Amino acid sequence: MKQFPLRAALLATAVCIAPIAHAETPADTLVVAAQIDDIISLDPAQSFEFSGNDVDNNLYDRLVDFDPLDQNAGIKPSLAEGWEVTDGGKTITLTMRDGVKFHSGNPVRAEDAAWSLQRAVKLNKSPAFILNQFGFTPANVDQMITADGNKIILKLDQPYAQSFVLNCLASNVASVVDKETVIANAEGEDFGNAWLSTNDAGSGPYKLATWRPNEAVQFTANDEYWQGAPTMKRVIVRHVQESSAQRLLLEQGDIDVARNLTPTDVEGLAGNDALTVGTEPKGRILYMGLSQKDPILSKPEVVEAMKYLVDYAGMEGSFLKGQWKTHQNFLPEGYLGASEDNPWTYDIEKASQILTDAGITSGTVKTVVRDIREYIDVAQTLQGAMAQVGLTLEIQQMTGAQVLDAYRARQVPIFIGEWGPDYADPNTNASTFAYNPNNADDAKLSQLAWRNSWAVPDDMNKATIAATLEGDTDKRIQMYQDIQQEYREIAPIIPLFQKIEQVGIQKNVKNWTTGGAVSSVFYRQVTKE
Amino acid sequence: MTREWLLTDAPQTRRQARLGALYQGWLTFRANRLAVLGLVILVLLLLIAAFAPWISPQNPFAQDLADRLKPPSAQHWLGTDALGRDILSRLIHGSRVTLFIVGTVALIAPVIGLFIGTVAGFAGGWVDQVLMRVTDIFLAFPKLILALAFVAALGPSIANAVLALAVTSWPAYARLARAETLTIRNADYIAAARLQGAGPLRLLIGHIWPLCVSSLIVRVALDMAGIILSAAGLGFLGLGAQPPTPEWGAMISDGRTYILDFWWVAAMPGMAIFVVSLAFNFLGDGLRDVLDPKGGRE
Repeated sequence: MKQFPLRAALLATAVCIAPIAHAETPADTLVVAAQIDDIISLDPAQSFEFSGNDVDNNLYDRLVDFDPLDQNAGIKPSLAEGWEVTDGGKTITLTMRDGVKFHSGNPVRAEDAAWSLQRAVKLNKSPAFILNQFGFTPANVDQMITADGNKIILKLDQPYAQSFVLNCLASNVASVVDKETVIANAEGEDFGNAWLSTNDAGSGPYKLATWRPNEAVQFTANDEYWQGAPTMKRVIVRHVQESSAQRLLLEQGDIDVARNLTPTDVEGLAGNDALTVGTEPKGRILYMGLSQKDPILSKPEVVEAMKYLVDYAGMEGSFLKGQWKTHQNFLPEGYLGASEDNPWTYDIEKASQILTDAGITSGTVKTVVRDIREYIDVAQTLQGAMAQVGLTLEIQQMTGAQVLDAYRARQVPIFIGEWGPDYADPNTNASTFAYNPNNADDAKLSQLAWRNSWAVPDDMNKATIAATLEGDTDKRIQMYQDIQQEYREIAPIIPLFQKIEQVGIQKNVKNWTTGGAVSSVFYRQVTKE
Repeated sequence: MTREWLLTDAPQTRRQARLGALYQGWLTFRANRLAVLGLVILVLLLLIAAFAPWISPQNPFAQDLADRLKPPSAQHWLGTDALGRDILSRLIHGSRVTLFIVGTVALIAPVIGLFIGTVAGFAGGWVDQVLMRVTDIFLAFPKLILALAFVAALGPSIANAVLALAVTSWPAYARLARAETLTIRNADYIAAARLQGAGPLRLLIGHIWPLCVSSLIVRVALDMAGIILSAAGLGFLGLGAQPPTPEWGAMISDGRTYILDFWWVAAMPGMAIFVVSLAFNFLGDGLRDVLDPKGGRE
C-alpha cells in the first residue's frame, strides 16, 4: 500500500529529470541501476549482503576465484598461483603470485593474505563461520594460518576436501586486504573494521571512488590490474528502488543495466530493439518443507504424494515465469555435484493413487505462509491441488518475522520459502538440507532438516560429513550425487525451484555477469560495442 | 387495508396507528430515489449471496494456470485472476463474506454501544464517568489502526476481523446513545413511569432503548460503507480473510501486482466494494429522512 505514492513520485522524478532525447552512457563507463540499500559495510570480513559482496568482488582479489565468463569451470588460481595438499589433507600450502600490487602500491605478500584470513576469524562477524568450519578460532588462528616467504600455510583440524577449502577461500570473507594500509587506519582493536567499512584496501580490478549509502557506488578502474586493465574505466551503480523506474531509465538509455526488474517489466522490454534480457541461474532454492511433527505430513506416502501435487510446469510458466525454474535437488545448478534430475511432475492421479493405496483419503493441514506474493501463489496452487485428493490446506498469511519465529520453533507444518547458499561449496546446502545431528526439540539447531523435525537417517548424516573430507574431487561429486539421489527418495524437505536473475541490458554491453549461482557480479570483463 | 385507512388522522386501533406510521415512513423513503436505488442494490446483493452456488458460473476456487490473467470475455465475464480463477464467480461468492462481516459487525457494535451509552447516560455519576472514559480511550485511537492491532494480536482470520471491527466501532454508538439518553431521562413520561413503580431496568429497556434505536439505525446504515471499507482494508493487508477465500479486499490486494497491465483483476472487486458502499450510503440517507425525528420533515 505504501509503495504506491513512492512509486508515483519516483516515476514523476524520473520523467522530469530524464532528458527527452535518447541519451547514451559514455563508451568507457558502465552505469548500473540496482537496489543497493542492503549494504551495511564494505569490509569483506563483515559484508554478508548481496550488494555489499557485489562491490567487494570488484575491489578485492581472493587467493582463488571463479572465472567471470565460466563459473561452471570451478575454482581457478588468482592471487595464489598454485597450491599443494600435504599431511594427509590437513595442510594446504598456497604459493603467492609475484608482482601483484594493492591499490596503495604496496606489494601483495603471503603475509597480507594470512593476516586477512586471521583478521576475518578474529573479527568474527557474520561471514566468519565460512572459515571457522575448518577449525580456526580467534585463539588458534595465528598458529593455524601462517605465512612463510611467498607461501601461505593453512593447517586444518580435519583432512577436509581440497575443493571444499578452496571453494570457501573463493568467498568474499577470504578477500585479501592490504595489511599495512588497514593497520595504519585501525582504531583500537577493530583491525581497521570501521575504516574498511567505507574504504577499500584491495588489489582488485576496480578502486572505490565513492559510496553514498542508498544512493550510489562509484568505481574507477585499476589500470595496473595484474590480469589487465578493465575496459570500463568507470562503473557507477545507482540505487533505484522501483522496477518501473529502472525500466524507464533503461529505455531512455540513462543506464546500461537494470538489475531489479519485475517479470512484468521484463516482458515490457520485449519489443525494444536496443535492449536485451540477460538470464543467469542464481543459488537460491525455493523449497517446501513438510514438518515431520505433523501427523499427516509425517506419513511417507503423503510426502511422496506431495511431490506430485506441485504444478511445477504450470507455475514456472505463469507467475514464476522468468524468475524461477523447476529444480528438484538441494544443490543449485552451477554448484559442484549439482544434479539436473527432476523426476517429479504434476500428476494428481498418481498422487491420489499413492494416497488411496495408503488409505489416506482426507486430512487437514493448517500452515502459515509469509505474505510475499510468490509464496502465497505457490501455496494457493498447492492448496488447489491438495483439495483434489481430499487434503485440506488452510493458509494463514503472516509477516516474515512471524513465520520465521514459528519456523525456528519447528511450528510450521508446510513451510514455503527460500534458502540461499552461504558460500560456493555444496556443503553449504548439504549441511542444512541433509544433515541433522540431533532431532530433539531442545537442540535448537539452525539446519532446515531440524526445523522441519526431520530425523535425517544416520547413513545420510555420515555421508554428508564424509563428503567434506573426500580429497578426490570426482569422488566427491559422485558422493553428492548419491546423497541427492537418496534425498530425493526420502526427504520431506522438497526443493521445487531455482532462482533465475533477469537483468535488462543495453544491446551494446557485452560479457555482463552477475556471478551466477556461486559468485557475485564481475565488472572487469564487461565491454561495450 | 386501503391507503385511506393507513393514512387516516384518527386511527381506531394501535395496530392501525403503527401500520400507518410505517406506511408514511415508506412514502418518505420512496420519495428519495437514490435511497430506493440503494435498497434495490442491497436486496440484489442479498439474493446473490443467498443463491451464490447456483448463480456463479464457475467454481470460485478452480485454478487454471494456463488461463490466468485473461481479460473479460464470453467465457469469463469479468476475466480471470493470477491463478486463472473466474473473477465473477469469486465476486459472487465474496458477497457472502462481505455480508457476513458487515452483518455481524452491524449486530454486535451498536448493541454494545447502546448498552454502554444508555447505562452511562441513565445512571450518571461515577458509572457514567468510568464508561465514558473507557469510550474516550477507544475513540483516541484511529479505528483502522486499532483494528489492525487487534487482528495482529489475535491472528488473521475473518472471525477476528469481525471482532476487531466490532470492538473498534462501538464507541461512536455509545456516545450517541448516551446523548439521547440524557435528553430523554428527565422527560415527563419517564417520571410518570417511575411514579408508577417502574424500576431502572424496566425504564431502560422499555422506555429509553426504543427511543435511541432509531438514531442508532440511521448511524449504523451510514457506517456500513465504512465497515465494508475497513473489512476490505484488513483483507487487503492480509489480516482478514485468508486464501483462497474470495474476500473482496483480499482480491484487490491480489490484483495490485498486475494493476498496470491487467487492470481488471483489481478493478472488478474494487467496483463491487464501491457499488455496495454507495448503496449503503444511499440507504442510510433515506433512512435518516424517515427515522430522524429532528430531521426536516416540515
